[in-house]
Amino acid sequence: MNDFAKALSVTSSGLKAQATRLRHLAENISNADTPGYRRKLVPFETAFNAGRGVSMVETGSVQLDRSTLERVYDPSHPMADGDGYFDGSNVDLMIELADAREAQRSYEANLKVFEQTRKMSSSLMDILRK
Amino acid sequence: MDMKAVSAIQRFTDARSASAIESYAQARPATEPTPEEPTVTEAVTKVAVDFAQTLAESEETAKASMIGDADPHALVQALAQTELAVEAAVTVRNKVVEAYQEILRMPV
Repeated sequence: MNDFAKALSVTSSGLKAQATRLRHLAENISNADTPGYRRKLVPFETAFNAGRGVSMVETGSVQLDRSTLERVYDPSHPMADGDGYFDGSNVDLMIELADAREAQRSYEANLKVFEQTRKMSSSLMDILRK
Repeated sequence: MDMKAVSAIQRFTDARSASAIESYAQARPATEPTPEEPTVTEAVTKVAVDFAQTLAESEETAKASMIGDADPHALVQALAQTELAVEAAVTVRNKVVEAYQEILRMPV
């Protein structure tokens, strides 16, 4: 396995990790109004592939944000307590959107590296064609 | 007095030659040919096996993604890797054919 192939596999692990991150962000955004929902956090970890000798990235087990849930006042809600409040979710849409944008940028960066690896390998082969 | 100086010099030369032999013995293995040096045939065989393996892997990934249980990233990566491998193989093949034709054109 040459270095180009290794670079391709590392980049593809990065793409996969960002896609997983985006999936959890989508879950957070979708559940922004779900009562009692805690936002999910996706940790990134280095996975050392001993056979290929490259450090790939992978997403670890999902953690829940332990911050306090938002108290929503709505006496007509079935889950409302005696004071008319119930626990909402602790999802902040602004944070989720910023995070989603960051995931997008990282994805683009990985795609660029992928493209560049292909180009470099092709250019190397071009030398032999002349 | 004289004998003392002579024996001191003798000891010094002995020590120097001993250390020279030692360093020579240490440096010698570095100059010996490594027994596991791959021959051209072995190297070519390894490349061919690598190539076949890359093709087989990407075929597996493509099949899995057709059934729907593979990650699209894995598919793209496998196909890109195959593309590069095939490109390299075709380029080398063209070069070999070119060289062969060059030899055929040689006037005898």
